[in-house]
Amino acid sequence: MKPQTTHFRFKASQTLVNDQIQQSLEHVYTGFHEGRLTAAANTDNWEELRTKGKAIKDHTIAHLDHYLDLLADSVEKNGGHVFFADDAEEARQHILGLAKANDVKTVIKSKSMVSEEMALADALIDAGIEAVETDLGEYIIQLAGETPYHLIAPAVHKSRKDVAALLSDDFKDGDPVPDAVQLTRMARSKLRAVFERADMSVTGVNFAVAESGSIALVTNEGNGRMSTSVPRIHVAVMGMEKIVPSIQDLSTMLRILIRSATGQRISTYVTMVNGPRKPDEEDGPEEFHRVIMNNGRDRLRAETRMRESLNCIRCGACLNACPVYRKVGGHAYGWVYPGPIGSIVSPVLTGLKDASNLPNASSLCGACHSACPVKINIPRMLLELRWRTAEGKVDARERTSSIKERAVWKAWRFGMMGRRRFDLGARVARIMIRPLSRGGWIKKAPPPISGWTVTRDFPLISPKSLKSLLSVRTKHTKRDLD
Amino acid sequence: MTDRAKFIAGITSDLGRTEMLVPSADLATAIFEDAEVARTRATHAVSDASSRSSDLVEHMAESAITSGWKVHRVANPEDAAELIGEICRQKEAKTVLRSTHDVLSTIPLEAAITSFGATLGVTALGDDASSTDRDKARESLFGAEVGITGVDFAIAETGTVVLHPRKGLSRLLSLAPPTHVAVMRPGDVLDSLDELFAMERDDFLSGELAGSMNLISGPSKTADIEGTIVTGIHGPLEVHLVILANS
Repeated sequence: MKPQTTHFRFKASQTLVNDQIQQSLEHVYTGFHEGRLTAAANTDNWEELRTKGKAIKDHTIAHLDHYLDLLADSVEKNGGHVFFADDAEEARQHILGLAKANDVKTVIKSKSMVSEEMALADALIDAGIEAVETDLGEYIIQLAGETPYHLIAPAVHKSRKDVAALLSDDFKDGDPVPDAVQLTRMARSKLRAVFERADMSVTGVNFAVAESGSIALVTNEGNGRMSTSVPRIHVAVMGMEKIVPSIQDLSTMLRILIRSATGQRISTYVTMVNGPRKPDEEDGPEEFHRVIMNNGRDRLRAETRMRESLNCIRCGACLNACPVYRKVGGHAYGWVYPGPIGSIVSPVLTGLKDASNLPNASSLCGACHSACPVKINIPRMLLELRWRTAEGKVDARERTSSIKERAVWKAWRFGMMGRRRFDLGARVARIMIRPLSRGGWIKKAPPPISGWTVTRDFPLISPKSLKSLLSVRTKHTKRDLD
Repeated sequence: MTDRAKFIAGITSDLGRTEMLVPSADLATAIFEDAEVARTRATHAVSDASSRSSDLVEHMAESAITSGWKVHRVANPEDAAELIGEICRQKEAKTVLRSTHDVLSTIPLEAAITSFGATLGVTALGDDASSTDRDKARESLFGAEVGITGVDFAIAETGTVVLHPRKGLSRLLSLAPPTHVAVMRPGDVLDSLDELFAMERDDFLSGELAGSMNLISGPSKTADIEGTIVTGIHGPLEVHLVILANS
């Protein structure tokens, strides 16, 4: 999908004044975030599991070449086909080619963020193939012609009324709005018919097991199971980082993924698929394809300070924990991955210059770091990206700061580095800005700090410095003690 | 160079190496545990399941309810048949399908289900089934009102039924019909996911890994409309776990 990361401010301000979406975003907090906290509290060895999960991912990413090689061997040994795609375009063309070569009429898609990177459904539809999203949230989003709002709850911003209008052509404004059960039944019968006629499926991969070539799929709805049972051809698409070395590692990874995503102990379904249907099996795909995609991930890996982001297992816990995401919503982030993880992944995958607002869309409170099941230090990477846009030292083209801005900060730095300079500077600044203040606040500052007061007020500098306040207090304390 | 070799060589060089390095043993992952360790773990899982079976069954019965299974404890196969027949009758089933699990052949299901006019079919295609046969089988799976299976394992930690699809056990049998009934025996229950994946790994290392595996924990559900949990989106609306007493 085409990145729209430059629209952050615009999209965010739209969302902030939309009461209905603000209410939906509250669900994200009370439903998912609190659910995760309860699940973690009810798991005796939760911290141990997080440490273990992080260790598994650290080890895998440090030897990614070896494990990808092993994975490809294992898939082929099981009778599957592997395709390595450098970018989204290559992956898309490969899958289109498979569909055309097999005369495929209907493709069912199970939720996959990697296929969103490819904008695969639209590409299939453009080629005259019926392509239907089967996760209910994704289906709603597809009908609305939008992109997912959340990693695991794509349609969290839609109301029942929105959904009713999307599912039924007959629904008119003013009609009684069906409840969630009725709407779900409507979707069930529509999608059942699609499942029955599907001849190809495209699913994501929650974990790929290097030693056995297996994939693990986590779903609550059962669309992942339909996708691996009904169609003739199954294509599983994955980012190249989605590997664990051993089958045995899955118990740890599934526990932390599912509890962090929805707060459930386990999802309704966990499906493991090891290859095409065995000859004596009742049903299942005859052909099994695996597409392993890079699409810019090499840049995350090549830079040691960003590499940890490849540990991400896409649970969405950092979104739910983030006070910024919960206000600005998923579309503000402008690409496939919203929230804190999106703010570090999107800039590197799609270009930091256009996405320079994303690393700044954080208060650096650290909630994402504490929520992450594999302990990714997201705030540290946000700072790294801010530094890059400010200084342009990694790549001059990434720099978004103006000469003026850099000059101000240089002067600031100089002023802050000496006690006398600092005291003098504070006094001068107070005198200069005092005429602008009303009741101790400046609502509209002159350049070079005019940008600051666009969205907030600037406080008048206190007449007494902290240092002078402290010295008075020290004197008092001394006297009291005497 | 092939695409694969080129792709992987790119990663090797990004990692700052000149050639692919085989990792040295690391306790972080189980991949360095050899077949013997895997076998010991798997054997332990089985012996644990049988020696603690009554504790594990109690734990399973409890967690299964949390996962959304309707749990029934029955004393003998006759009671099981009566109960399952009653479920099918309430669902106004016309077609009921079952797997070829051993446990089901000990239960007099046929009489219980035909007694109210429904038919009981078995899903079992031959190795040489034609594509027309397969299409027909699929159609009947999508048309059936109730699917009955045994369980290959159950997991007490999570209230999960594990099925390995194979000849006589269609992938769709526990998915397409709106009601799924699973019949469990006391010895089927494993303690946790650790034991299950230990056994899977042992199967893999001895070349006996099944084509696929399904972990089922309750009815199909979604919360994609305003966060309201609704059961029965793509899979069963209702799932029953019938626990047989020790015979």
